[in-house]
Amino acid sequence: MAESRTSSVSVGNPVKPGTLVRVALRLLWRDWRGGELRLLLLAMIMAVTSVSGIALFTDRLERALLQESANMLAADRVMSTREPPPRELLTEAQSMGLATAEYIAFASMAFSDQDNLLVSVKAVSDAYPLRGSLQVADQVFGAPYVSGQGGPSRGEVWVESRVFSGLDIDVGDNVYVGESEFTVTRVLVLEPDRQQGGMMDNAGPRLLMHLDDVPETNVIQAGSRASYRYLFAGDQRALDAYTSWVRNQYDGLYRLRDVRDESAEVSEALSRGESFLMLGSLFAVLLAGVAIALTARRYSERHFDYAAILKTLGCTSNQISVIYFCILFVLLVLAVAVGSALGWLLHEGILRMLRSVIPIDLPSASGMPFVVGALTALICLFAFALPPLLALKHTSPLRVLRKDIGDAPLSTALPYVFGIVGGLSLILWYSQDLLITGILVAGVLSVAAVLSVLSYVLLRSGTAAGMRAGSAWMLAMSAVRRRRRQSVLQVLVFSLTIMCLLTLGLLRTDLIADWQAQLPENTPNHFLMNINNDQLDGMQNYFDRNNLQANPFYPMMSAGLLQVNGAPAPLPWDNDRPGAPSSVTERSAGEPEPGLGAEAAADSVGEGEMPRRVENRQVTYTGQLPPDNEIVAGSWWANDNRPNEVSVELDYAQRLGLQLGDELVFRLGQDEVTVNVTSFRTVRWDNMQPNFFFIFSPGTLEFIGATYLSTLLLEGEQKMLLNDLLRQYPTIVVLEVDALIEQIQTIIAQVSSAVELIAVLVLVAGALVLLSCVNATLDERFRENAILRTLGAGRKLIMSSLLIEFAFIGMLAGVIATLGAEVSVYYLQVEVFQQEFFPHYWVWFAGPVAGTLIIAGLGVGATRRVVNTSPLAVLRHLSG
Amino acid sequence: MASMVEARHLSKRVSTSEGELVILNDINLSIAAAETVAIVGASGSGKSTLLGLMAGLDGASGGDMLLDGHNLSTMDEEQRAQLRGQSVGFVFQSFQLLPSLTALENVMLPIELKNDRNARQKAAQLLQRVGLESRVTHYPNQLSGGEQQRVAIARAFASEAKILFADEPTGNLDTTTGAKVIDLLFSLNKEYGTTLVLVTHDDRLAQRCRRIIRLVAGEITEDSAIAEDSITGEAVHG
Repeated sequence: MAESRTSSVSVGNPVKPGTLVRVALRLLWRDWRGGELRLLLLAMIMAVTSVSGIALFTDRLERALLQESANMLAADRVMSTREPPPRELLTEAQSMGLATAEYIAFASMAFSDQDNLLVSVKAVSDAYPLRGSLQVADQVFGAPYVSGQGGPSRGEVWVESRVFSGLDIDVGDNVYVGESEFTVTRVLVLEPDRQQGGMMDNAGPRLLMHLDDVPETNVIQAGSRASYRYLFAGDQRALDAYTSWVRNQYDGLYRLRDVRDESAEVSEALSRGESFLMLGSLFAVLLAGVAIALTARRYSERHFDYAAILKTLGCTSNQISVIYFCILFVLLVLAVAVGSALGWLLHEGILRMLRSVIPIDLPSASGMPFVVGALTALICLFAFALPPLLALKHTSPLRVLRKDIGDAPLSTALPYVFGIVGGLSLILWYSQDLLITGILVAGVLSVAAVLSVLSYVLLRSGTAAGMRAGSAWMLAMSAVRRRRRQSVLQVLVFSLTIMCLLTLGLLRTDLIADWQAQLPENTPNHFLMNINNDQLDGMQNYFDRNNLQANPFYPMMSAGLLQVNGAPAPLPWDNDRPGAPSSVTERSAGEPEPGLGAEAAADSVGEGEMPRRVENRQVTYTGQLPPDNEIVAGSWWANDNRPNEVSVELDYAQRLGLQLGDELVFRLGQDEVTVNVTSFRTVRWDNMQPNFFFIFSPGTLEFIGATYLSTLLLEGEQKMLLNDLLRQYPTIVVLEVDALIEQIQTIIAQVSSAVELIAVLVLVAGALVLLSCVNATLDERFRENAILRTLGAGRKLIMSSLLIEFAFIGMLAGVIATLGAEVSVYYLQVEVFQQEFFPHYWVWFAGPVAGTLIIAGLGVGATRRVVNTSPLAVLRHLSG
Repeated sequence: MASMVEARHLSKRVSTSEGELVILNDINLSIAAAETVAIVGASGSGKSTLLGLMAGLDGASGGDMLLDGHNLSTMDEEQRAQLRGQSVGFVFQSFQLLPSLTALENVMLPIELKNDRNARQKAAQLLQRVGLESRVTHYPNQLSGGEQQRVAIARAFASEAKILFADEPTGNLDTTTGAKVIDLLFSLNKEYGTTLVLVTHDDRLAQRCRRIIRLVAGEITEDSAIAEDSITGEAVHG
């Protein structure tokens, strides 16, 4: 008997890597031809396509939107001051490679030989505007065109149409500003940053002149109220460098602002849109990831036998890993190549489709979206596809003798850990936001938790009931019960998919509805301020005579809060935690708009200034609750006979720590007024309407003199009536916000289109997941149904049982998905989109019904082959 | 003559919900090179388990298992895989061809894994030898059961294994086809001088081997040599 050699002995030559690669490629090619890999590759391509397509689209759209928003500033960054800022600020920016421009805005009287008019003068340098363009016309109401040069040359002015009627002049006539005479050479139709700045910039129709002409007018003296603006444009790096230089050099004295600082409405629309697009592409990727996981799992299950046979032929575990790693790598390369190309086509298609709603020229795309697509594919592959395939190396070679061995490795926790970690990294990477990640993870976890309980209970009771019902029902329920683990997994995947779709659908609907509600059609676009009591009737008559849609006149006065319940009133910012800038920013974002009507320069954030502590507020009294205000605590006064009550805006009340019933003492001029807090209100700050922190009940403040504020909708040629109105009531101040409203509406329309499209893409990704999930059980169904058919079960019986099985699973998934979607939407709306949440009752019906119909349709569609293939062919194929 | 396979006090036990189940108990045997051995027994007697242990597809619970001089009990799965690749060929009841590879590619696989550059040529010759030269580009599901088993036999000899394990090689075939396949197996075995260990419950097929080992309830109850002249000739006709 020969002595045995020990295990350390080398047995033959190890298999060369090249051989393994060749084997891998051959397997890959054969599996591809056999259709085994198609769904896996399709899922990966889908992931890359949706990510790179959406990334390309959003990359270009976002840059276009930023550009569009930059147009609203006429620059990328703006610096505003009340005093002429040091020239060094401009020269340093130029030395850093930034383009610069400047202007001064001030209100002044303009004269013609016939008449005079208060105009808001804007004196611009040659380079103005740095972003966007000036639109002019050669005659009043003539066809507008883009001015080839910047602003007017020296000695010339361009004026808005209203100035022509106000001064009774024509193009070519002369006007006087201060001590200078100018020739009117063009009609100014549109300036990109028309609505930026404060009252001074917008107090009357625009007169545009050259900056160098200002000194000769002698209008601006020491102490004159003028607004100075420096404009900067350039690439992001230079802008960032310059911003930090200004911060370091001037220690916060001067501040560069972008469109997000300047316009709360645009900023909000943009950031909500971005959040949605991000969320959409995230959902698409996660869904594609699930599809990849499911198809990879199915592929690996079909390859247990391969691995076992390869092991009997001498392949080691590591060599098997190398083979399947090679296969995945080739798939990855293919998916990235094909997906990127399709992504490009996709985004081109979207752009063509949306050409009418995206009128702006999009800047060319950067390479980043492709990198994002490729990285996503890589993460998806490692997280979702690699674990089940690498599990193949643990297949026991004994499986060649006993087929029941070898399924165990996949039940280990590793693939799930990989999947969860991968999914989390994707969410975090995409959202760059721990909050959204947290919400999504909580949503998924709660669905999983609810699912495990619900599916157990429902599957149990459903199947128990089913066992007593007809034979198709019995077959279906016994199938559900037999595959309980798979059924639970299917319900989980289906409900997550439907939940993603529902969440996105609901968010989309609410987001767009909210935007439309923010600035509905016929939103008043002019503020009338400084109206005296004795002008009210006359103005109302004027509006009626000219069919103008006017709104209530709000009396306005400045009030300072002195005491709360006898104690000195805290300042509204006292309750802020130190270093909590978000609340201050949020407040200052909301304030400039009420400021349009209520606070103006007194309370709101001043130009170029940091938010400062405030005591005085513009207040009003009225019997009618203003639109977009909602009482959330206490009650609005029912009639006009209850003086000495006050309604406080909710956030503001919380900052002051006010309670219902508190006694407040206000000082108004020389008088003091004591009132009780009887209600708290929420206010929609972004609706471009007059809004107030404090509204007093009628009969409280009438003895104090007030000026009035109202809003007015003026469209098209109606605008010319302003001159007439101002001539009759020269003391009133008109604030024109029509251009701003129009710009915001354009941006909102664009973002809405993008939002719609992303929802469609996620739908496609969702369908892919559903298909993969149904396919995952296909082999087993084939085998079972072939056996049933050989035992004499008819085609109709099998089809009915399949229909019932999928409908049942779909209904379960629909119920759970609806629950998960409502919870997710609640958190997303409240925490991310800053919207109010309302339950969507219709979804509670639509979710389960849609789940039932979609899953039943998809399931039966995909498994129809089960009854259309001959049982013998099935059994031979599966045993082979 | 040197032992190709040697089992020393080999045992296999598995835990079940009803306690420990002994599948093989104190198996001792030695199989010489070029010997043809049939392991017979009823279903559940432990013959397939013994084959799995002898071929290094599974680990024993006790005792030593030596294959081609290597003690499998002290080797890990990676080393056993390499040993299988070098020394062992298999023929299975359910053929175990890779369904996505053609007949030729299935036979090429073990040759390629030995880094042999002439894989295609050698595989084609073997397929010709088993009478399937016209079927080289067919996939397993395009072949009949008998043809698939012939491909499996060609693959088993392709690796120039020293020992061939066959697990119920005719179990999935009708009698006539089974007989032809067995003829081919024994003829090739003779040609290549391979050791053949064949598991079957068919006594007549067992009669074609030089030695029969009978298992009953996991223990060897009979180990008998068969005289040369009494070995059943050509066929195992039903």
